[in-house]
Amino acid sequence: MIKAKNRMGLIFFPAYDWAISPTHPEREERLLYTQDQLREEGIFDIQGLVEYKPDIAREEDVLRTHFCFPDAAGVTTESHMISAGGAIKAARLLLDGQVDKAFALVRPPGHHAMKSVHGNRGFCNINNEAIMIEYIRDHYSTRRIAVVDTDCHHGDGTQDIYWNDPNVLYISIHQDGRTLYPGSGHVSECGGPTAAGRTVNIPLPPGTSDEGFLYAIDEMVLPILKHFKPEIIVNSAGQDNHYSDPITNMNFSAQGYAMLNDRLDPDIAVLEGGYSIQGALPYVNLGIILAMAGIDYSHVREPDYDAAAVRQDKGIMDYVKRLKEAVLGVYFNPPTYEGLLPYRQYLTRRKNVFYDTDGIRETQLESIMRCGECTGVWSLETSSTVYPLSLGIEIPVGACTACEKEGGRLLDNAKKSGKYKTIQMIDRVKKEYYSR
Amino acid sequence: MNKSALYLGLDVGGTHTDAVLIGEEGIVSHYKAVTDHDNLLLSVRKAIEGIAGGADRKKIQRINLSTTLSTNAIVENRLEDVCVIISAGPGIDPDNFKIGTYYYVIDGSIDHRGTEVRSLDAKLVSRIAGEVSGKGVKAFAAVTKFSTRNPEHENLIAREIGSAADFVTLGHKLSGRLSFPRRIVTAYFNSAVRRIFENFSDSIEECLCDLGIEAEVNVLKADGGTMPFSFSRGIPVESILSGPAASVMGIAALCDITRDSIMLDIGGTTTDIAIFAAGAPLIEKEGISLQGFPTLVRSLMTRSIGVGGDSAIHVNGGSVSVGPDRGGPAMAAGGTVPTLVDAFNAIRIVRFMDAEASAQGIADLAKKNGTSPDKLADAAIEYAVARIKDEVNAMLGEIRDRPVYTIHEMLEGKKIQPALVYIMGGPAEAFRDKFAGWLGAEVVVPPNYDVANAVGAALAKTTIDIELFADTCRRTMIIPNIDVRRTIPSGYTLRDAERDARNSLAEHRGSLSAPAGGSDMEIIESSSFNIVEGFYTVGRDIRVKCQIKPGVIKRLT
Ligand SMILES: [Zn+2]
Ligand SMILES: [Zn+2]
Repeated sequence: MIKAKNRMGLIFFPAYDWAISPTHPEREERLLYTQDQLREEGIFDIQGLVEYKPDIAREEDVLRTHFCFPDAAGVTTESHMISAGGAIKAARLLLDGQVDKAFALVRPPGHHAMKSVHGNRGFCNINNEAIMIEYIRDHYSTRRIAVVDTDCHHGDGTQDIYWNDPNVLYISIHQDGRTLYPGSGHVSECGGPTAAGRTVNIPLPPGTSDEGFLYAIDEMVLPILKHFKPEIIVNSAGQDNHYSDPITNMNFSAQGYAMLNDRLDPDIAVLEGGYSIQGALPYVNLGIILAMAGIDYSHVREPDYDAAAVRQDKGIMDYVKRLKEAVLGVYFNPPTYEGLLPYRQYLTRRKNVFYDTDGIRETQLESIMRCGECTGVWSLETSSTVYPLSLGIEIPVGACTACEKEGGRLLDNAKKSGKYKTIQMIDRVKKEYYSR
Repeated sequence: MNKSALYLGLDVGGTHTDAVLIGEEGIVSHYKAVTDHDNLLLSVRKAIEGIAGGADRKKIQRINLSTTLSTNAIVENRLEDVCVIISAGPGIDPDNFKIGTYYYVIDGSIDHRGTEVRSLDAKLVSRIAGEVSGKGVKAFAAVTKFSTRNPEHENLIAREIGSAADFVTLGHKLSGRLSFPRRIVTAYFNSAVRRIFENFSDSIEECLCDLGIEAEVNVLKADGGTMPFSFSRGIPVESILSGPAASVMGIAALCDITRDSIMLDIGGTTTDIAIFAAGAPLIEKEGISLQGFPTLVRSLMTRSIGVGGDSAIHVNGGSVSVGPDRGGPAMAAGGTVPTLVDAFNAIRIVRFMDAEASAQGIADLAKKNGTSPDKLADAAIEYAVARIKDEVNAMLGEIRDRPVYTIHEMLEGKKIQPALVYIMGGPAEAFRDKFAGWLGAEVVVPPNYDVANAVGAALAKTTIDIELFADTCRRTMIIPNIDVRRTIPSGYTLRDAERDARNSLAEHRGSLSAPAGGSDMEIIESSSFNIVEGFYTVGRDIRVKCQIKPGVIKRLT
């Protein structure tokens, strides 16, 4: 019998009774063939590999992470709570010492869900990884976490949530935003003033294959991680870089995904996208599971794999090599705001967000306190085509006393103004999450 | 059952052979003897002779046999050499699943939808067959990945082996379930015990002929069901580890179980535990494991722990424990070490043979450890009870934590709430009060529990379980283990599949000449998924699991 080198927990929740719509890529049978493959391979009989049931996330787990309008119940269904709960289960297994590695093979995905939620964007309502990370920071002493997002689409939701957070490093490898939804994820997007360089984007050209991806891991991601020294590495394990994926244009293979995972060596992986449900997912998931468990994956390969057909163009490697300079520069020499911006004043940023799935348009005004002591209290004014002007206020993890007080003042003023339909408060110091 | 017909149940266990004869009015007679481990046939013959006189023998209509024959052959490694020929395709390296001396991986591959990806290297098969048969290997097993979706390659291997084999076990005939490694192990064991089993079957048939018995003979399986003797010759591996199932089915026959219940079979050295949900014994999610090898053999969910009446009492630095070693027989029965039974005897919860000897033994052990006899006896009993309760709780936890795959099951999943605890076995009465009130359940010690295993064997029904898989794009429908494969129209629906599953199962049951029961056939799982290509639904992927529920043909309540 095969024995796993790493004790591994697999949270498999395919949600066979849930779809966005009958022919939408995010539909019931998305993980059906993956389950067939895993069962036929005898994955669940591997010694040291245990299958677990997901938790069901609670409302407070969502409200600790997101500003939801009108409220958590209004933007989620049970499927979202179970998917996020699957990620939480992975974290609990790891941090309670029951496993060395955990993979939440759950759906629906979450990495396009931003801080403020008015509906569904890019198949996502709430951000599974962020909800998990905030659960970790609330329940355990872990503080420094890195997220490496290997989904083909830029994880603009996760980037948005951690834009101002220097303790969560977000690295995304994705198909260049000029050629794919959601259009963002350029190298120049590198985090807010308090977290400059803690958002790292690696946009790869269409047609990049194993060679290009593994170069990006070896030459960009690993040196950055080595320097950042996270306590936990989370892999947002999207599988739509696969050469057979119907909605993207990359040339990555199952063997490549397994090697990537092996080199990245994440503690937790959470499934994101990936819509080649017959030709890719069964083999990519098998490869990732074997790599995480520390089992030989060299025989994992798609039945139709043809190395010549998916080889990348010569120009791609040159481009990726040039990209290295820029990417490492962002992390190691980020733009500095020192001396340019006075302390205890608000910096503001305007944003427009489009929810493709639900056709919602949202306008945001973010105001963050420039604070020398903590990451700074902040607020988000938001209105959308489905919800009137509202406000979110967050007193962040580890907020200083001044910022905590300021949070209370912001709330009072907002209430008095009578401008807002809903006010969402996230107080990470008192661990209170509520709406007014 | 016609008026004068008799059913004979035989449980040839590791220690004892139990037999019971059941008529219209209930148990007619029973028999118990020590099993002759080296001659199971003799044990069977003696039991039949011992239980039924000449007149009764003529009336025996059905003999159900639970035997350790195959299990022992595997455990003691008395296995025939088997040539295992497999093809795997991409995935985990098949060398990991090597079993036996003659294990060959050949080229060829089928994917999860049953599509042939690479053709089979058939020429190599005949070369291998020629080579190993030169070395005297006559037993074969053919297993290919995803053969339950498309058995073509396994069939081709069998054809290529041809007359070089006395028999070939085909993986897809064992079960419709997915698990390539389990299929390999199960097919290997099946071929490895097949000749032993066949010889045994022949001898039993001769013996019955000798004794003038014309009954149909069935063999008990680990899932609590039976299979006809003739059929079991092809899949003898299904007869492994049927012992615990005999006891469970016995309880089902002796008590009218309709609710969530727990069964404790407290024997000499072990306690076997089973769980009933709404009166039906729970089945293990995957097949049973044997010698650390997971197989595809379906089994009831039972657990065994090393606590029983003859388990030795230990005192270690003030903490008292019981088992898992056998200390017995009890001092009350002339043993030399105080056992759990002695503890019950010493504090007069029961009265068993030489109570004085028990009291003395407990007193001596107490003195040696600076405690009082009563305290020691109490602590030993409490330990045993706690171990059993812990194990039951672990099982209930395991059931509660079983992964589910739909939101509906995640939110509405049924929980087991035991209403009754059935205790059987030698020390059953002694434990009655100890479990009173536990989990809010009522304790029942059924009568005749000492022959429950033989009763269970006698009255167990024939069970069959199938998995239907249909793909309307490929226009195929397959039920691998009963050899059904046909072309379906593109409009084939879930309802069609459920009907086909029921009909095929009924037809197969008919071919086994197993009596049809009323409502004992059930669809356990059924699902239909769209197959979408691009943005259009091009077909349905349909799956139906159907079974004849384990159960008894009549109750003795
Ligand atoms: Zn994606
Ligand atoms: Zn501050």
